[in-house]
Amino acid sequence: MNISRYGEEGIRILFGEKIDLEIHEKVRRYYFFLKSLQLKEITDIIPSFRSCLIIFDRKRTSYEALAASLRDKEFLIAHIDIPEPNTHDVPVEYGGESGFDIDFVASHTGLSEDEVVEIHTSVTYKVFAVGFMPGFPYLGILDQRLHVPRLETPRLKVPEGSVGLAQLQTGIYPFESPAGWRIIGRTKKKLFDYNKEPYSIFQIGDKVRFIRA
Amino acid sequence: MIEIIHPGIMSLVVDGGRYGYREVGIPTSPALDLYALSSLNHLLGNGGNAPAIEAFGEKFSLRFAKDVCCAITGAKVRAILSGRPLQSWMSFTARAGETLTVDEVREGFRYYVGFSGTPVLEKIIGSYTTNLECRFGGYRGRALQKGDRIDLEDIRRVGVKRIAEEFVPRMTPPHTLRVVEGPESNYFTDESLAEFLGGKGRAAFTVSTKLNRTGIRLDGKPLAFRTDAEESIISEGLLPGSIQVPGDGLPIIQLHERTLGGYARPALIAKADHDLLAHLKPGDAVIFEMIGMEEAERLFDRKIEIVTSIEN
Repeated sequence: MNISRYGEEGIRILFGEKIDLEIHEKVRRYYFFLKSLQLKEITDIIPSFRSCLIIFDRKRTSYEALAASLRDKEFLIAHIDIPEPNTHDVPVEYGGESGFDIDFVASHTGLSEDEVVEIHTSVTYKVFAVGFMPGFPYLGILDQRLHVPRLETPRLKVPEGSVGLAQLQTGIYPFESPAGWRIIGRTKKKLFDYNKEPYSIFQIGDKVRFIRA
Repeated sequence: MIEIIHPGIMSLVVDGGRYGYREVGIPTSPALDLYALSSLNHLLGNGGNAPAIEAFGEKFSLRFAKDVCCAITGAKVRAILSGRPLQSWMSFTARAGETLTVDEVREGFRYYVGFSGTPVLEKIIGSYTTNLECRFGGYRGRALQKGDRIDLEDIRRVGVKRIAEEFVPRMTPPHTLRVVEGPESNYFTDESLAEFLGGKGRAAFTVSTKLNRTGIRLDGKPLAFRTDAEESIISEGLLPGSIQVPGDGLPIIQLHERTLGGYARPALIAKADHDLLAHLKPGDAVIFEMIGMEEAERLFDRKIEIVTSIEN
């Protein structure tokens, strides 16, 4: 674990340098450790693949004081209760107008469209991070056989619910949005609701299964 | 009540921001010039982060249906209230039936229009601010349009006040933006980083036309990645003001709408200069000046002190 400074209000806690389940578990544990402290001086926490970014309020504390206090409390990390991850089933309509890049994915990987779907639905994915936009889950780890590059130039718009692939990740766009991932299908499942908590159905560590609709 | 007669090039409802939910990707989406917002609210007797309208471009115009105090801060504009010229950074009283029109933006880019009352809007996830991309918050989750009406309640009479000239920031280009080192500064060659900083007072970049509330893309000489460095990173938590460099080497100043990012960050804009980012417009020259963290903290603390002194 490596604690470093990022800007006047950020503390970056690094747990490794790759996408890996063990590193993910450390990030997740540390995130729940931070939540359990309920520190008023922490404004936001952003957990992701290999780090936790803490954003703190400079009117309440300093980098040095907060970093020292976190080090003092580190022994608690091993003892905190971590919630059981939720499992989400996501029905997806693959291919056709909903999954307009599936032919690219098939030709790039040398698989048939059916095989692409079969492989995509055969794995229970982990939510490694939620973000970039509200409720967007970064899911891994994708089967090597579905490895595809991102688009050189992102599309200006893909519809809400689009399911995409990029490198060894898959994800779902909760809103109509610009997108650089290859779209293979679409879900009607509501992923984000700004009117009620929890706003995002996904949180870090949750499990996701895709089902052919 | 106020009624929008003309939204300018674009206008929307903003406040101090939406905090505490970046863990699930909900960005803070605050007013881009928070100093202008808190000065505005000070003039009107509101809380520092109270909602207001953020606008840019000329012709922004609204009609008052009730007597209310109003002010404009941020970019220095010339406005007309029923034929009378008005200055920004001071409050004035508008009578029911009068029309306010911004007819010239003299310095800066975005300006803020506020009222001595509370707009009747719904708070979404703890804030009135608009998330334009996801269409929630603000006025029906979108930019303001001709004919939109916003009710005001708890209207208070406040005396005419002005922000002293010394507290009104300079917003003319070239913009000198102080930066601190970013997490991936070692992804770039020393020569390229030196050029990025442009030497004392020399502008290495100009603001491109690719600019919105999410980010500001700059034109200039691309940064060069070291041969052993990746051109992207594993996506991770992103702070507002981070300068991200995609594969083409041209920097993007990230504003407040993204919580995760996958591009290398050679530097980030010092907090004390974040408000100035609201006033970068296409073609403006930008000078980056690297400072140490201690100085960045001192400048930021000084800015917090100024805001507090204006408020008191």
